[in-house]
Amino acid sequence: MAAFDYAPVIVLLPFLSFLVAIGTAIFARGKNVLPKGGALPGIVAMAGALLLSIWMFVTVEAQGAYDQTLYTWASGPGEGTFTLTFGVLVDQLSAMMLVIVTLVSLLVHVFSLGYMNDEDETGLPRYYAGLGLFSASMLGFVVADNLLMAFMFFELVGLCSWLLIGFWFREPGPPSAAKKAFLVTRFGDYFFLIGVVAVFATFGTSQFSPIGGMEAFPVLAEEALTGSAEGINTFGFDAATWFNIVGLLVLGGVVGKSAQFPLHTWLPDAMEGPTPVSALIHAATMVAAGVFLVARMYGFYALIPTTLAIIAFIGGFTALFAATMGVVKREIKQVLAYSTISQYGYMMLALGGGGYVAATFHLMTHAFFKALLFLGAGSVIIAMHHNENMWDMGGLKERMPVTYYTFLSGSLALAGIFPFAGFWSKDEVLYETLVHGLGGSPLLLAAYAMGLLAVFFTGFYTFRMVLLTFHGEPRSETARNPHGVRWNVKGPLVVLGVLAATAGFANLVPVEKLTGANVDFLHDWLYHGPETLNGEHYSTLLHDVAGYTAADFSVLISAAVSLGMALAGVGLAWMLYNDPSPEEHTAKLGAVKDLWYHNYYQDEFQVWLAETGGLGIARGSDKFDQGVVDGVVNGVSSVSLFSGSRVKRVQTGVVSNYAALLTLGVVVLMVALGLYGGWFL
Amino acid sequence: MSLPSVTATLLQSGGALPEWTALAPTLALALTALALLLVDSISPETKNNALLAGTTAVGSFVSLAFSGWYLAAGTGQSGTGGEIVLYGEALVVDGMYLFFSAIFASVAAMVAIASYDYLAGKEYQGEFYALTMLAATGMTLMASANSLASAFVALELASLPSYALVAFLKKNKGSVEAGLKYFLIGALSSAIFVFGISLVYAVTGSLLFSDVAEALGETELVGVAGVGVLMIAGGFAFKTASVPFHFWAPEAYEGAPAPISGFLSSASKAAGFAVAFRVFVEAFSLSAIPEGINWVILFQILAVVTMTLGNFAAATQDTVKRMLAYSSIGQAGYVLIGLAALAGGASSQNGDVMGAAMAHLFVYGFMNTGAFLFIALTEHWGIGRTFEDFNGLASKAPMACAAMALFMFSLAGLPVGGGFFSKYFLFANAVFAGFWWLAALGAINSALSLFYYSRVVKAMWIEDATSEFEIRSKPVGLYAGIMIAAVGTFLLLPAFGPIIETAQTAASALFGA
Amino acid sequence: MNPWIAIGALAVMGVGIPLGMMAVSAILRPSVPEQGKSAIYESGEIPTGTTRIRFNIQYYMVALLFVIFDIETVLIFPWTVIYRSALESGVGLGKVLFPMLLFIGILTMPLVWAWRNGAVEWVKSPRATSRKVEGES
Repeated sequence: MAAFDYAPVIVLLPFLSFLVAIGTAIFARGKNVLPKGGALPGIVAMAGALLLSIWMFVTVEAQGAYDQTLYTWASGPGEGTFTLTFGVLVDQLSAMMLVIVTLVSLLVHVFSLGYMNDEDETGLPRYYAGLGLFSASMLGFVVADNLLMAFMFFELVGLCSWLLIGFWFREPGPPSAAKKAFLVTRFGDYFFLIGVVAVFATFGTSQFSPIGGMEAFPVLAEEALTGSAEGINTFGFDAATWFNIVGLLVLGGVVGKSAQFPLHTWLPDAMEGPTPVSALIHAATMVAAGVFLVARMYGFYALIPTTLAIIAFIGGFTALFAATMGVVKREIKQVLAYSTISQYGYMMLALGGGGYVAATFHLMTHAFFKALLFLGAGSVIIAMHHNENMWDMGGLKERMPVTYYTFLSGSLALAGIFPFAGFWSKDEVLYETLVHGLGGSPLLLAAYAMGLLAVFFTGFYTFRMVLLTFHGEPRSETARNPHGVRWNVKGPLVVLGVLAATAGFANLVPVEKLTGANVDFLHDWLYHGPETLNGEHYSTLLHDVAGYTAADFSVLISAAVSLGMALAGVGLAWMLYNDPSPEEHTAKLGAVKDLWYHNYYQDEFQVWLAETGGLGIARGSDKFDQGVVDGVVNGVSSVSLFSGSRVKRVQTGVVSNYAALLTLGVVVLMVALGLYGGWFL
Repeated sequence: MSLPSVTATLLQSGGALPEWTALAPTLALALTALALLLVDSISPETKNNALLAGTTAVGSFVSLAFSGWYLAAGTGQSGTGGEIVLYGEALVVDGMYLFFSAIFASVAAMVAIASYDYLAGKEYQGEFYALTMLAATGMTLMASANSLASAFVALELASLPSYALVAFLKKNKGSVEAGLKYFLIGALSSAIFVFGISLVYAVTGSLLFSDVAEALGETELVGVAGVGVLMIAGGFAFKTASVPFHFWAPEAYEGAPAPISGFLSSASKAAGFAVAFRVFVEAFSLSAIPEGINWVILFQILAVVTMTLGNFAAATQDTVKRMLAYSSIGQAGYVLIGLAALAGGASSQNGDVMGAAMAHLFVYGFMNTGAFLFIALTEHWGIGRTFEDFNGLASKAPMACAAMALFMFSLAGLPVGGGFFSKYFLFANAVFAGFWWLAALGAINSALSLFYYSRVVKAMWIEDATSEFEIRSKPVGLYAGIMIAAVGTFLLLPAFGPIIETAQTAASALFGA
Repeated sequence: MNPWIAIGALAVMGVGIPLGMMAVSAILRPSVPEQGKSAIYESGEIPTGTTRIRFNIQYYMVALLFVIFDIETVLIFPWTVIYRSALESGVGLGKVLFPMLLFIGILTMPLVWAWRNGAVEWVKSPRATSRKVEGES
């Protein structure tokens, strides 16, 4: 058996753990059948999936990518019909993502032992069932080999997010947050769905790469733009224009899922869910689904520079916009939430700016350090008896050193301080955007400027968080006597802490520039994918079709500038908050503070939008439904009941009446048709 | 049909079987009738219902099997030599004959199985089954008639046993009265029908459909021919219970034993449509008939009036059986679209829309028979006739009530049974043929029908019982009949594809000829 | 000229003449009501009972059987006429004789059935029985 035959097992293992947990939840309610409330099956499944994923990774390295249709669930007869399939695509990108997802998920499962089991939460089987289903869906999304299958798992991922955010459904906050997350991401997914349909309508296939007679839509699109546009229906538009429309439609789903402006509002609220869930779903994996989707079909996006510019702009703007809001937050998880939004902005910026490898790189490092930060925050929250307000903390450094040092590692990575992971990836993001901007796409320079400015804010809010949480004097009773945490919390933190410090060495572009040593491993890895799915192909497309050219600019200068910005932010935070009893400095910001504190009034604006626009439409439809539709229905029924009672009277029961009416009917018909047909002439 | 066509050519057209065996579905039913008479002759006083019902059911299944086999093997269909003409062109075997024979045999089988309990302890059981089989024989002959004479004889063969069957409950005033009324209206309609035949014969000089079509194309006696065509349409309207020949239907269906009501409203109605389809497509073919005789308009009027009147009257009924009777008139109106939405010339839509009507009749055979069998069950239990009497019945007999709910929703056209697809295809094909207004009227009527169909379901499942039910037994035969109908109705939802395909192929062959 | 006009005229005449004759005779004849005129005519016999009597159902049974055999005869007759010549011209026995045997066989079956079910038993009518009893007493 070849290694790739086991690829579906990666998806099925967590699904199995979901079935076990849900079965227990349903059939053995209240009884403690599963040890650890279902955690163990989940851990075993994720460990198995991790091992398999690593095996896949190694095999991809050795044998190249794998793409196989597993099941054709709808196929039309003959020409001009669609074939809908489930397939597995394991290439360099998805193999890497498999390892990330399974690793983070495994660690989160372990961490949950400390966060959920040790805290005596109820409903644990439901919780682990949710985690299992989520992992399965996410892994299914990662290995999807066509857009429709990706969409299905994308939706499943959203469903799991809803289930897990609303885990504590008896409290007022979580259900509302879950609903908001679901509705907002759904809004984006509508566009995605239309996009999927549009892809089918345009290309007749939604495969990411050509396989067994089925063509791939990015390849078809490329052929359409470079000359031969056969069998492609662009609905009367110019091919490039139409592709832009399709690309933007799919981007709707991406913006929703990856919490980009203006659909980012759900993510901070999603922090109502259990913290391990926040770490797994709302930082490391699910939110990454959007970015991953763009990377997955980068062969399509690389053809349409307009959309790329829009992606870059959305990314850059979101990075800055979210970072500013993170500056004033009081709760530790809120800061992390905004930082997540901001970091995904960077990835979008990289994708839009032509940095496919940079975006993937940042996706990877961010998954590690953000999971770490969330788990660290979770550890702090356990210690603080579920008080998340940073102004009640302080001085935890001495009392929980493991958490502190790992958290610090993650923070340095997030802030982008040399040599932690975030430095390398963020630097590459900015560098790629800058060189393409200088190389003839000046619009990108504006996006770059926003991204660069955001680096400063990132450094500031990150260390404001660290200083308020761990440094200074304890500002509350619980902070003086924090609740201890066990190995199951510390273990995952240490693993991730090491990764946050070292993951950046996967792609040391500046070092390579300096020394000439061949150390850009990730770059090489991604450049050796299948023919139409590798970085080299993408950069050719970017250059030839989208017209992106890279200017010659020193990577060292760029790195130095961004490091400088980060250090400035960190320094400012240090100046303001490195105090045994720090004060709130937000008041100095004046009106801006209110603006930031209220998240630029985005929630209020969107609610206003929904109330005036949506509610108006809803009222109109209601009026139409009540008045016109129901009116017609009621009218028909009352008319019919009335005439029905008339008809009843014709049926007298006297047979001679029937005979007479029957004959009369025939005569009337005869006369009418006779006159019409001219029989009597 | 995708079954091997090798065996197809080996049947009648290839010489493997003599040609007359193509009529096997009919012959099976006729022989069953004779066998039943034989049994009854040997022991006239027998109350051995199992033997009689069993013989009838087996005969029906044999007939059904023949129809299915021939349909699969392609007997009489365009792929394997075309229609088989027998007995001096009096009869014809083609896809449509086989399709309708399958409907009649299925309904007859269900009725026979259900009658096992319904007739328990009653007199003259042998006659009951023999008459049922004879009527079914007549219906299959109606579907195969190729001349106006055989059409008339077949129609009478189907009708005469029906009169006796409606009046079968000799001690029941309603049954006897209904039988007499049915007979009188039937006699009048037959008279009109045969008068129409004589007028057409006067104009064309032939009774064979093909000759009639040919002669009509050249005739100058448009008026006489037109009156003849109209009167023949009247004869069919009687059989299909279309307005204004529908007066017998509510009373006959209400008075008759409930299995017979099901038999008449499903199979007999389908037979009327079968012969009407063939006569109007072949004898009065639109491409040959003089301009003045526009029978499409006639059927448009009939369809609209029938569906509207049937549904409106059904909405105001108090008793369930009578509601079903009127609803069956309404359903006839939908099927009439199969004749009303035809266009002149060789439009390929014609075959599709008529095939959809045939498929609807097929599904209708199951769901409507099932509904009447449910009524038979309640009569067996001695439950009252009104909607209120059914209140809370589901708590006592959930299986049967679930089946009834399935029939009702399927009749209304909800996607729980084959009725959804058949109605959908019928209306959709009417729209494709350009008669969107017919489809729209049909859809409005369907929406209305949901009202009274759901009343039954609501009474059974939602209302609380007003009185105690005395359900003494769970009759095996009635339950079996209802369940066969329910499973058939339900399975026709996923398995509707082959049905509509067969029906449309058969109907298209009719237009092609 | 439209031929329907002639048909219409014929219809008017056809209805008009009998109506007219009845009307004329009603005007001309004298009115002499008398019991003998309204009595039932039974070829000179003095009628017993009224016209509204129930015929025994057996009467219809026999009539029906008669019709069946009548029609059977009608169909057998032409067959007998051509039977010999058909055989002589070489048509096989299976084609000439067998269908008729089948036909008669089919007819025989219901006859047997009707017989067994008492269709040809001349049961005593209640009326006849009662009269007989009256006569004896």
